[in-house]
Amino acid sequence: MFTHIFINRLKCLLHDRETIFWTMIFPLILAVFFNMALSNVNSWEIFKAIDVAVVDDTNYRNNEYFKAALNEASKGADRLFNLTVTSKDKADQLLNENAIVGYIVVEEPIKLVVNKSGIDQSIIKSFIDSYMQTVSSINSILLENPAAQKELISSLADRQQYVKEVSGTNAEPNNVLLYFYTLIAMTCMFGCYFGMREVTDIQADISPVAARVNIAPVHKLKTFIYNTCASLLIHLFEIFVLLIFLRFVLNVDFGPKTGYVVLTSVLGSITGISFGAFISAIVKKSEGIKVAILIGVSMTGCFLAGMMYQNMKYIIAQNVPVLSYLNPVNLLTDAFYSLYCYDTFSRYALNMGCLCIFIVIFCLGTYLIIRRRKYASL
Amino acid sequence: MIIKVKNLVKRYGDLVALDHLSLSVNEGEVFGLLGPNGSGKTTAINCILALLKYDKGEIEIFGQPMTPDAYDIKRNIGIVMQNVAVYNELTVYENIDYFCGLYVKDKKTRKKLVDEAIDFVGLGEFIKFYPKKLSGGLLRRLNIACGIAHKPKLIILDEPTVAVDPQSRNRILEGILELNRQGATVVYTSHYMEEVEQICSRIMILDRGKAIATGTKDELKAMIGIGEKITVETYSLSEEQLSRLRKLPNIVSAVYKNQTLEIKADKGLHNLETVLDFIKKEGIQFGKIYSEMPTLNDVFLEITGKDLRD
Repeated sequence: MFTHIFINRLKCLLHDRETIFWTMIFPLILAVFFNMALSNVNSWEIFKAIDVAVVDDTNYRNNEYFKAALNEASKGADRLFNLTVTSKDKADQLLNENAIVGYIVVEEPIKLVVNKSGIDQSIIKSFIDSYMQTVSSINSILLENPAAQKELISSLADRQQYVKEVSGTNAEPNNVLLYFYTLIAMTCMFGCYFGMREVTDIQADISPVAARVNIAPVHKLKTFIYNTCASLLIHLFEIFVLLIFLRFVLNVDFGPKTGYVVLTSVLGSITGISFGAFISAIVKKSEGIKVAILIGVSMTGCFLAGMMYQNMKYIIAQNVPVLSYLNPVNLLTDAFYSLYCYDTFSRYALNMGCLCIFIVIFCLGTYLIIRRRKYASL
Repeated sequence: MIIKVKNLVKRYGDLVALDHLSLSVNEGEVFGLLGPNGSGKTTAINCILALLKYDKGEIEIFGQPMTPDAYDIKRNIGIVMQNVAVYNELTVYENIDYFCGLYVKDKKTRKKLVDEAIDFVGLGEFIKFYPKKLSGGLLRRLNIACGIAHKPKLIILDEPTVAVDPQSRNRILEGILELNRQGATVVYTSHYMEEVEQICSRIMILDRGKAIATGTKDELKAMIGIGEKITVETYSLSEEQLSRLRKLPNIVSAVYKNQTLEIKADKGLHNLETVLDFIKKEGIQFGKIYSEMPTLNDVFLEITGKDLRD
C-alpha cells in the first residue's frame, strides 16, 4: 500500500507545476539575481595599497632609517604603500588630482599632508606615529645605556610574535553568504506549500477528494504519512538542486562541513512542510487565505533574517533577541552561517534544537487536529 | 439487509438536518433518496459513511455498526460524490487505478478491474487525458469509475448527474441499472424526480431531514387521491364555467391560471372523455389537451404543500 500511495503521490506533486515553480524554479531565479546584484559587495574588504608620496628633499635623503622603513612598507605583494618620491610641487599637484592620498614631508617632526580625512589617511598617520615612537624609544634607551646599541639593533631585527592567529574554518569574512543562506532557508520554508496540500488532500471537510480517501479502507493517518513522505522527497530534491547550483555554479561557499549542511537542509525541509501542514490544519478558512498566511509568515521571517537588508538580522538580535529564536528562517540562516564560520557546534546545536522544538510543535498540532475520524460538517 | 439506519438525528447548531431518520436498504435493490436541495440527502449519506458526526441514532451496514475504522465494511462500498473527487494531476487511467488500488492490492486484479471500469463508463479514448481536459459529462463518468472500479457490493451515488448533459445522464443512469443487474445494491440520491422514478425500485422522499414517505413509485402515488391530471390550454374560461367543471363526477380540483386549466381527477376510466364533453358543450376554445398520471412531484406537493423543484 505504501508504494501505491507514495508513487501516485509523487506523480501528483510532480505535475503540480505551480508548486514546483515556487519551491524550485523561483529560488533558482532568485539565486541568479542575488549573484548578479551582490557579486561586488565584498570587493571593498580587499585591501589595496595606499598611494602616497614623499617629498624628495635633503631631510628625506639624509634620514636613512625612515627611508628604509618606507621602502620596506612599499615592496612585495602585501605592500602597504604605492610610494612616489617626488618634489613638493609635484606632490601638491598629485594630491589635488587625487592621485595620492597624502604626502609625507620629512622634517622634525615628520609631517603628513592630506586634503581630507579617511581610513587610508589614518593608516599613513599610524605608520608615521609608529615609526616616530620606535625612534624615540631607541633614542631614550641609547641615551641611558649606550652599550645596549648592539643588542638593541639585533632585537629590532628579530621581532617576536607572542599571539598567533589561528582560524578554525579558514573561512573568509563574507557579507554575501548570508543572503544566499536566507535564500536556502526561504526555500526550506516554502515546503509549507507541500504541507498545506497534504492536509487539504486528507481532510474530508476541506476537499471532496479527501472525502473519497477517508471512505477508502486505508487508515487516514497512514495515507497522510505516505503522502508526506513523497512531499518530503520532492522538496529535499529541490533543496539539493539549489545547494548544488549555489555551490558549483555560483561558487557559494558552505564551509567544509557538508554533512551538516545536508542535515540542516533536511531539518529545514521538515520544518517547512510541518509548518504548512499545521497552518492548513488550524486555519479553517479558504485555500487563498491559507496561502496568504504562509507567504506572509515566510517572507516576514526572511526579512527579519536579513534577506532584504542584511543588518536586520543584527538589529533583531540586539533589540529583540527572542525573535531570532522564534523565526525558523533566522534559525536556518544562522545554522548555515555558524557551520561556515565557527569550528565549534554550540551555536549550530542551539539553532537546530530550536528548529526541532518547532517541528515537534507543528507535527503534534497537526496530528491533534487531523486525527479525528468524523467531522462536524462537510 | 444492506443498510439499516435507526432514529438518526444530526443538528447543525439550531438547524435539525436529520430528524429521527430511519431507513433500510435491502440487498439487490436500487434505493432512491428523493428530496429538494437542503432536505438532508447528502447529510444522511455522509452520516451513513461515518464521515459526519451525528447526535443520535444507529447505523449498520452489512449487519455491522458503521465506524470510521470499519475497513471490512468500507472495502465493499463504492461512493460517487456529488462533487467530482479526482486528482487533477493524474490522468483518467491513473485516477481510477489510484482509487481502485486503495481497495485492491493485487496488481493484476487491479488492472483488470480498472480496464473494466473504463469500458463501463466509456472513457476508453480518454485514458491519457487529465481531468481538466474532460467535459463536464466525461468528468462525471470518471468520478463514477473511481467509485465503482473495485466492484463494491454497495454503491452510493450522491446526485451523480448534476450539471450533466442529457446524453451523459442517460448513459450514467443506464450504467447504474447495469451495476444493479450485476449484483450491486445501489443507493441513489437526487432531486430530479424523473431520474428516481426511472431507476429506483424503492424510494424515500425526504423533506427538512424527515422521511415523509417511503415505498415503490406506485405505492407512493397510491398514497395520494389523484388518479389523473388533465391539462387544457385555453385562452378564456369564466368563473361560472370553472365552477360547473368542478361539479363533474370524479373531478377533485380545477384551477385556471396563465391560460392553462389544470384538472385533477380521481382514478377512473373516462375522466378525459368527461372533460372533453364539457368543453365541447360549453363551447370553450382550446389548444393542446393532455392527460398524465401523477408524478412524485404531485406526491411531494400533496404531502408538503410545496413543489419538489422549489
